[in-house]
Amino acid sequence: MTTWSRLHSWQQTILRRSRIESEMDTELRFHMESRAEDLARNGVPRQEALRRARLEFGGIETAKEECREARGAGFIETLLQDIRFASRILRKNPGFTALAVLTLAVGIGASAAVFSLVNAILLKPLPYPDSGRIVLPELISPPGVNLGSEYMPWGQLQFRALTRDAHPFQAVSAFQNDSFNLTGAGEPASLDGFRASQEFFPSLGIAPALGRAFTAEEDQPGHEYEVILSDRLWRERFAADRNILGRSVELNGSAYTVVGVMPAGFAFPRAEEMPSNFNFPAEPQLWVPLAIPAEPKPGPSELAVIGRLKPGVAVQQAQAAMDLITKHAEEQDHRWTGWFNMRVVPLQRQVVGDTRRPLQLMLGAVCMVLLIACSNVANLLLTRSLARRREFTLRAALGAGRARLIRQLLTESLLISLAGGAMGILIANAGIYFVKTLGPSNIPRLREVTLDLPVLAFALGISLATGILFGFVPALAAARENLVDSLKDGSQKSGGSRISPRLRNALLVSQVALALVLVVSAGLLTRTFFQLLGADGGFNAERVLTFQLPLPSLKYAEQNRIVTLFGNVLERLRAIPGVQSAGIGETVPLGGEGESTVIRMPDHPATSQKELPFANFTVISPGYFPAIGTPLLRGRDFQETDTSNSMQVAIVNATMEKKYWPNQGAIGKQVGPGSTRYPLLTIVGVVPDVKHTSLREETAPEMYVLYNQNPWPSMLDMRVALRTKADPAGMTESVREAVHAIDPDLPLARVATLTTLVNDSMSQPRFSVFLLGAFGVLALLLASIGMYGVISYSVLQRTQEIGIRMALGAQRRSVFGMVLGQGAWLAGLGIAIGLVVALGVTRLMAGFLYGVRPTDPLTFAGVSLLLLGIALLACYLPARRATRVDPMVALKYE
Amino acid sequence: MAKPIDLLQGTLDMLILKAVSLGPLHGYGVLLRIQQISKERLEIQQGSLYPALYRLEHQGWIASEWGESDNKRKAKYYRLTAAGKRRFQTETEKWNRMADVIAGILRTTPEEV
Repeated sequence: MTTWSRLHSWQQTILRRSRIESEMDTELRFHMESRAEDLARNGVPRQEALRRARLEFGGIETAKEECREARGAGFIETLLQDIRFASRILRKNPGFTALAVLTLAVGIGASAAVFSLVNAILLKPLPYPDSGRIVLPELISPPGVNLGSEYMPWGQLQFRALTRDAHPFQAVSAFQNDSFNLTGAGEPASLDGFRASQEFFPSLGIAPALGRAFTAEEDQPGHEYEVILSDRLWRERFAADRNILGRSVELNGSAYTVVGVMPAGFAFPRAEEMPSNFNFPAEPQLWVPLAIPAEPKPGPSELAVIGRLKPGVAVQQAQAAMDLITKHAEEQDHRWTGWFNMRVVPLQRQVVGDTRRPLQLMLGAVCMVLLIACSNVANLLLTRSLARRREFTLRAALGAGRARLIRQLLTESLLISLAGGAMGILIANAGIYFVKTLGPSNIPRLREVTLDLPVLAFALGISLATGILFGFVPALAAARENLVDSLKDGSQKSGGSRISPRLRNALLVSQVALALVLVVSAGLLTRTFFQLLGADGGFNAERVLTFQLPLPSLKYAEQNRIVTLFGNVLERLRAIPGVQSAGIGETVPLGGEGESTVIRMPDHPATSQKELPFANFTVISPGYFPAIGTPLLRGRDFQETDTSNSMQVAIVNATMEKKYWPNQGAIGKQVGPGSTRYPLLTIVGVVPDVKHTSLREETAPEMYVLYNQNPWPSMLDMRVALRTKADPAGMTESVREAVHAIDPDLPLARVATLTTLVNDSMSQPRFSVFLLGAFGVLALLLASIGMYGVISYSVLQRTQEIGIRMALGAQRRSVFGMVLGQGAWLAGLGIAIGLVVALGVTRLMAGFLYGVRPTDPLTFAGVSLLLLGIALLACYLPARRATRVDPMVALKYE
Repeated sequence: MAKPIDLLQGTLDMLILKAVSLGPLHGYGVLLRIQQISKERLEIQQGSLYPALYRLEHQGWIASEWGESDNKRKAKYYRLTAAGKRRFQTETEKWNRMADVIAGILRTTPEEV
């Protein structure tokens, strides 16, 4: 027989089964009628002729069946038959089927939801053409210099060095965030935007949907007054006007020409996709040329760099080329040694960033849930296959081969798992919706998470895999039944083969162990969460309103003007009824990282360039500490009497005092910015450490200086904090009025209560706790169902034995204890194994924990007891049932 | 019981191949043709004719297509394929050899052993 004809035949069977059936009918009817006609021609009456033709032919259905078989469609036919049979069996046991399907649906649904996150965040390429070639060149701070992280913003000088010799790059661009006051188009608004050099858009490979990208001429000082809008800004502020190109808009008091509109969804860079020390805005709305001067200034700058590698250039080659740039720069000028260290990171890796580890944690946890679900269903199947022993024996006796039996059972389990998978997809969909609406906003690429083809394929894949996994063991066990033994045995209640109780117990023990590991992990995270809630952030978040006050740089070019403005604004704000205190500062607690700088202390002379002391340098106004609720540890707060003419003063945090003046205290000591151009300040007070990015951060040394004594023009982007007597959220309007009474062009940005900021900073740990907690609860539920199932089945099996015991005088209490004891023993074994595994697993979690050790005895002991309690609870009902066994009934039971 | 059916099945296949080698036939035609050339000496189970046709078609030795019968009805016609022709030849040879051997055995007298 040729392969072709076989394939052809199969294909026909599958695709055109009904056509073939009707053709077969036609052919056989033709035969019958022709025969009848022949008979009629010989004088048999018509009715009789038809009857005789049918008789002569014999069993027509048998012939059809044989025809179908002869077509070689055996496999498909058998499969369909198996499926029909399996679904009949499953329908006959709705309780069992529902439980098994539901258990798997939960496991598969949770896994698919977590996989959709993994897929969108870790696996899918970024939404840029040929995104594998996009890299982030990073500047590494010199060894020994602590800027809070090892990255350092690029300076213009370094970026120039990179572009001058940028052989590995097809395009490379520097960019820097800025806020832009949009005026003259309705209510003034503060927009987050970027200044980007010419090759910014080519680096990403995305062209504007409308208009064009920047030209080289536009990227030069004096010519940079062009702007490209985001799709969102274009729609929200300019009514999606397609004639907007060439129009002039007013940004920070200057006229900019609109040259392009980006496609919908484009918003590079988003804060959550970039290194956090850049403190980028959540979503940029516009881009203008960066316009680095031909002679770049050597001073500090806040640039980030992005590049697209030439085709065929590997990341390692790019790294080598950049190392060469470093070498050249250091050879040219030895003062630069250490300040040109570059590293190139693929954008994909940067975007994934710190998300990889929490995702791995989730994936691990959800795998455990899935395993527990699988072993639970395996146990259910096993229990049921024992009850179906008679059926199997009968079928084996009638000639069903072992392979045939296994195949039938596997069909059943696959049917269950596919039904579970279908339902799991619904659960996954709900889970994805939940994660997208309630998940923390700082998860990168969360908006790309959907129930797409890879996720569906994954769900199908694990459905099949789990179907085989949990179906195979019971099927093998069932097929291994010794025909003679079970026939001789005759009883359906006793025993089962030797292997089954052991197998079921092993499955149960592993469930308990897995559940323990999961719940211990969830417990540790929960303790971490509460430790964080109780952690001292150095402030009091109750009834504090904060907002950002970005100033138009043209209007407020002079320092004096800014100082006067702030003085007036503070005066106005303090006059609002219900405001207790008001202060201005460069940052507010948990509002993001502040500035950090090299400092100089006469009593701590720097020994070398590499060991320069660093500290956060935060400009504040009097009233700032009372407003955010930070008490003074020692010394005094800034006062209105501290002016630009009085003594230059500073306040430091506890970490700074402990680091530099651990014994004699900081009060009265001198400190100042690194450059000797700036005067030294006298420390007058010490405050507790105030946390900036999260409650778990290791606080860096920090010094506070007065806004009216501040030598640096860095006050265009300050934050305001107000402590109120009543609900702060209700004060927003009167605050806005107060600010606009002084300058109607000033926008208020990022208005939020301090409580909101604290909550936002907790969103990721809260989310982890919630997810892992949910998985833990699921695991407990599944494990207790498993425990209940195994123990109640064992009671059922031992009915006769229990009856005899009771007939011989066993007390109900001792029977109760015996059943409970069996459960406790199994649970205990599972807990013991789980504890050992958990000790290994939780060590890997150390990075997620705060204020609690990975081997926290309280959590371990608590969870063990919880699990034991739940196990005993699950055994309680079957144990009670055992005590109700009537010896008479039990003995007659057979 | 099982063995005679096997034998019959084998011969039935050969008879069908022979029948359609003389020209395309529908199922009922095959039955008539065999009865005709065997001079009605062979009784063929009509129920087993169609499974045999389907099997031969599936094996690629005969092919079928729908046509019109003498009594103007839609009927499925079978014809021998090239592969079927070769198969029929080897089967015939095999059958003849086998028949010779069997006949020889059956003719054997006690003296010849």
